Amino acid sequence: MADLITQAKWDRLAPRFDTMASKGAEARWQPFKQKLFSEMDGKILFLALGTGLDIPFFPTGKDITAIDISPKMLEMAQDRLAEYDGTINAQVMDVHDMPFEAGSFDQVVTSCTFCSVPDPVAGLKALHKVLKPEGKLFMFEHTGSRFFPFRPMMNFMTLLTRRIGPDMNRPTVNNVKAAGFHVTEVNNVYLDVVKTIKAYKPA
Amino acid sequence: MDHRLDYVIGDFLASLLLGTIVGILSWAIVSPWWNMLVAMLIMMPIGMIAGLIAFFPAGIKLGAMEAMVPLMFTGMLSGMVVGMAAAMHALSFTDALGLGAASGVAGITFVWIANSLLRGITMENGGNARG
Repeated sequence: MADLITQAKWDRLAPRFDTMASKGAEARWQPFKQKLFSEMDGKILFLALGTGLDIPFFPTGKDITAIDISPKMLEMAQDRLAEYDGTINAQVMDVHDMPFEAGSFDQVVTSCTFCSVPDPVAGLKALHKVLKPEGKLFMFEHTGSRFFPFRPMMNFMTLLTRRIGPDMNRPTVNNVKAAGFHVTEVNNVYLDVVKTIKAYKPA
Repeated sequence: MDHRLDYVIGDFLASLLLGTIVGILSWAIVSPWWNMLVAMLIMMPIGMIAGLIAFFPAGIKLGAMEAMVPLMFTGMLSGMVVGMAAAMHALSFTDALGLGAASGVAGITFVWIANSLLRGITMENGGNARG
């Protein structure tokens, strides 16, 4: 069963999400996202699709299953889904409660997702399960910082942002390792806060 | 530091403006009879919250973390510097304005330097990056 508290939080944010996230953030992150997504191949699981802001950065002609916990977010994504030159099967789904069989996907791709998943290690273990052995995990995420003064600032921010949106202090690289993945590359896009992470599921 | 000029100018102006506003706020709140440590401890979180509030309009054009982190840092720095100065002796409005603006410039410069040191690939093929 879906986490209704998280679902309601993102449903509330959906009408205002593009106003905050569609201009500055996407313009700044576009080159890094496009480079990461250019490695999409095979049968792909994408989470969380949100209002579909990442869709214009997807390479064309891919077979993508995309999930998001918020039905309101996916409603907002319809125009971008229709414009994609390829196949995207978008579904309302909680990462903690995915019906896919083990080893269903060649790749899992996430974009600003694990700042918000309530139990990130359990969520990443769920991704580990649905990936094929040697399957790849590509993540574009913002995380906490290891360094002063950013670390206490991100902790303070999280106290303010957790109720209305994402956490700002998640140790996502550590969480990826804790879920059983082998991390192959971490690329800091901005400070050590915004980063791309590449990992795979050991055979 | 983002190499796209519009973002460089935008980041700089946003921090300069926020530093100045928090400087004026600190001048208005803190009096010379305040304990300097108390002034610092009160004005730092107020500056950070001012940075978080400023993020909402600034973030639309300047990005998410790229706006939020420097603005909160600049707010904290300006609150600390001007708050402590205002507790030490009676500051004029112009002094508070100048100190706040200088804190804004110092804040964004610090973040740019930190970014140039931290960005890039930190781990390949099983190294020990964390975070």
